[in-house]
Amino acid sequence: MGYDPANPMVDRITDIGPPHYEQFFPPVVKKNYGKWLYHELLQPGVLMHKGESGDECYTVRVGCARLISIELIREICDVADKHCDGYVRWTTRNNVEFMVDAKAKVQPLLDDLKSRGNKFPVGGTGASVSNCVHTQGWIHCHTPATDASGVVKAVMDELFDYFTSHKLPAQVRVALACCLNMCGAVHASDIAILGVHRKPPMIDHDAITGLCELPLAISSCPLGAVKPATVKNSAGEDIKSVKVNADRCMYCGNCYTMCPAMPLADPDGDGIAILVGGKVSNSRSMPMFSKLVIPFLPNTPPRWPETVAAVKNILETYAKDARKYERVGEWTARIGWEKFFEKTGIPFTIKSVDDYRLAYDTWRTTTQFKFTSHIK
Amino acid sequence: MPKHDTPLLDELEKGPWPSFVTDLKRQAEKKPECWDILGQLELSFKDKITHWKHGGIVGVFGYGGGIVGRYSDVPERFPGVAHFHTVRLNQPSSKFYSSAKLRDICDLWEKYGSGMTNMHGSTGDLVLLGTTTPNLEPLFYDLTHNLNQDLGGSGSNLRTPECCLGRARCEWGCYDTQDLCHTLTMHYQDEIHRPAFPYKFKFKFSGCPNDCVAAIARSDFAVIGTWRDDIRIDQAAVKGYVKGEFAPNGGAHSGKDWGKFDIKKEVLDLCPTECMWMEGDTLKIDNSECTRCMHCINVMPRALRPGVKQGATICVGAKAPILDGAQFATMTIPFVEVKKNEDGEFAEVVEVIEKIWDWWMEVGKNRERVGETIMRVGLPTFLKVMEVTPVPQHVKEPRSNPYVFWQEDEVEGGFERDVKEFRKRNAQ
Amino acid sequence: MALSRDELKAAILEKATNAPKPQLYVKDFYACDPEAKPREVKNAANDLVKEGKMTFWSSGSTTMYAAKGRAKDEENR
Repeated sequence: MGYDPANPMVDRITDIGPPHYEQFFPPVVKKNYGKWLYHELLQPGVLMHKGESGDECYTVRVGCARLISIELIREICDVADKHCDGYVRWTTRNNVEFMVDAKAKVQPLLDDLKSRGNKFPVGGTGASVSNCVHTQGWIHCHTPATDASGVVKAVMDELFDYFTSHKLPAQVRVALACCLNMCGAVHASDIAILGVHRKPPMIDHDAITGLCELPLAISSCPLGAVKPATVKNSAGEDIKSVKVNADRCMYCGNCYTMCPAMPLADPDGDGIAILVGGKVSNSRSMPMFSKLVIPFLPNTPPRWPETVAAVKNILETYAKDARKYERVGEWTARIGWEKFFEKTGIPFTIKSVDDYRLAYDTWRTTTQFKFTSHIK
Repeated sequence: MPKHDTPLLDELEKGPWPSFVTDLKRQAEKKPECWDILGQLELSFKDKITHWKHGGIVGVFGYGGGIVGRYSDVPERFPGVAHFHTVRLNQPSSKFYSSAKLRDICDLWEKYGSGMTNMHGSTGDLVLLGTTTPNLEPLFYDLTHNLNQDLGGSGSNLRTPECCLGRARCEWGCYDTQDLCHTLTMHYQDEIHRPAFPYKFKFKFSGCPNDCVAAIARSDFAVIGTWRDDIRIDQAAVKGYVKGEFAPNGGAHSGKDWGKFDIKKEVLDLCPTECMWMEGDTLKIDNSECTRCMHCINVMPRALRPGVKQGATICVGAKAPILDGAQFATMTIPFVEVKKNEDGEFAEVVEVIEKIWDWWMEVGKNRERVGETIMRVGLPTFLKVMEVTPVPQHVKEPRSNPYVFWQEDEVEGGFERDVKEFRKRNAQ
Repeated sequence: MALSRDELKAAILEKATNAPKPQLYVKDFYACDPEAKPREVKNAANDLVKEGKMTFWSSGSTTMYAAKGRAKDEENR
């Protein structure tokens, strides 16, 4: 028996939730659950967890695109079946982890992964650039200001050497969100790549009546820039529509989400902003937000060279200058943002001076600063 | 569906990182609609703009979440993706899978969808990308009947809860993140599948203050593991680190010569509260000064472990910058034990959650995250709602303005006064 | 006196059918019974969806309610 369209409610099952996690644990995980003692990294991408029982769990972490096919998932299953008793897991940063219960099983697993071309790069542990988490972009989203998978592929190609090694001062979390809504946690990333729109929405007066609830479009605007208006459509009829106060628009796209007759994406208006120095962990310093250091870079598919170069420059300036354990935000806090701009050579512009809500908190209210090349 | 020329996307088949373009082409050999995904994406690369439209009433019957409507704005050119809805599957806690389960999901998606997925979406769901409206009900039937799985959340629902891997394979899990995540997911199936709130609401569960699922940055309700007794020290292992027998930070810095491990420079001096010191070769910690930041434990995992009196801190109200600016979650409940009662429920955590919801459903505005509601009414009001005794830990520092809103019953004699009596003593 | 579940559902459906705005937030239904708890109103509205008398409309991030056939949608345009 399968689904019967004539009787959709017959035998309907709802609200059963996800399968219980425990059935998916490899035996070594199940046995040592809650009884792990310590861990170490044998090499980039290979972890060993030691249990109180003396058991060891070896994990091989591989980078993976977030957008993957069922063909690739089946290949991952083949590897899991061959080496890991059929178990595998994903990390929160879209890496895949293969676990084995003995050191002797690690090398055959690594050899197998290596034999499959560049599909399974081993790394993403310790003081590395781990996988770049991201959102949908042009592959599936209606409000993006840039692509996601394409930019990330180009960036990770360039930072590949930092994914497969442990040579940075600390872990560096790179993240991309394709618009201001930030489906990913880019607002607390070491380096955040953020899609931004720069043109207010257009209004399709011919379509708005059929597509939108005007009060929703009006109330969706955080800055009150969308107002009701009576306008003429292209047939010359007076219709109820909206107008947008361009001076107040912050290009968030909220109105477009509620009203598809207000598109704002634009090939020239859209691009990428770079934010730096956020972190989520409570280790040493408190969690920090990422700060806007480059207000705009153009969308230049297929490989976004300006964005790739900007990310690499920030990463390598940090790598050269920061102390051991220092996250990007801790490094900038120590040297000061004026030094960050000087050392990276990123031009400081008025766009980095906050004039939104709570802006005052970010203005300098002390005579303490460093004389850098910015002060003539 | 025919192949399309994709000269721009083909550039993304180069380079050492795994290529989603190569992967899509491989899938297209079996699922020809993937040629249209490639074709439409190539058009976006050329036009520098998206070609998707969104939203609507699509879903499975009776659910207000788990499916997000998606339509091509160039359907004549790419009919294979004219409808291309997203299906969110609720992932098992911390994303362990058996290959058998994954193969079942792959077979289901080969039958009803494009073959493309996100492993995983930003909130944690296993996301199936691209199916048509007529396929939704049959897919849901097979999913629930044959795979014993269910959809996740979207819209103004409780979003699919997510946790770190915690005690499954980490020595620092201060409570059972998987168990709490799974139990609450089951407890709140109605709230996950049907809208309940002014806007989205997210749970995230991290086992320690390293916060690997970014709970403090991303969730309305963040439960972050902690402890309230002394860090456990193995002094022999401390000596091992000092002598160089063990690599610091588990070997995380192995790719560069940072010199010999220096416990003073790398641990004591980086402690934010300066509560550690050496007496000879013995490490001392004044635990009453410790704020449990994890740095020393991260650096010397063989020598130091969280204490044994474990539980969690609950923080409320994180969100991305839209609209007022980004917010981290505010520390609300300093410590809970995170224990199940005899009914198998985390009653203490549930009570906190429902206090927040009952209040937020009442006073939250449409499309206002709970962190924004708290910002609007103020933390003092929220703490009163939560019936939490205010403690210095709730603030980084006391307020620097004196504009206290006194309640009438807090002021001797109340607010009502007789101006005539006043005038007898104080002439105009 | 608070309304019974059936009376509350009737009031919600009446509002969803006749309100000038075809799509409504759950909060818009709170006024149908000022004495009901928000959760009761939400459950009554969701019941009406289960009965096929109302539909959800979702932008992906926000969900609204409409009487059957009133929501603006790509597929019933």
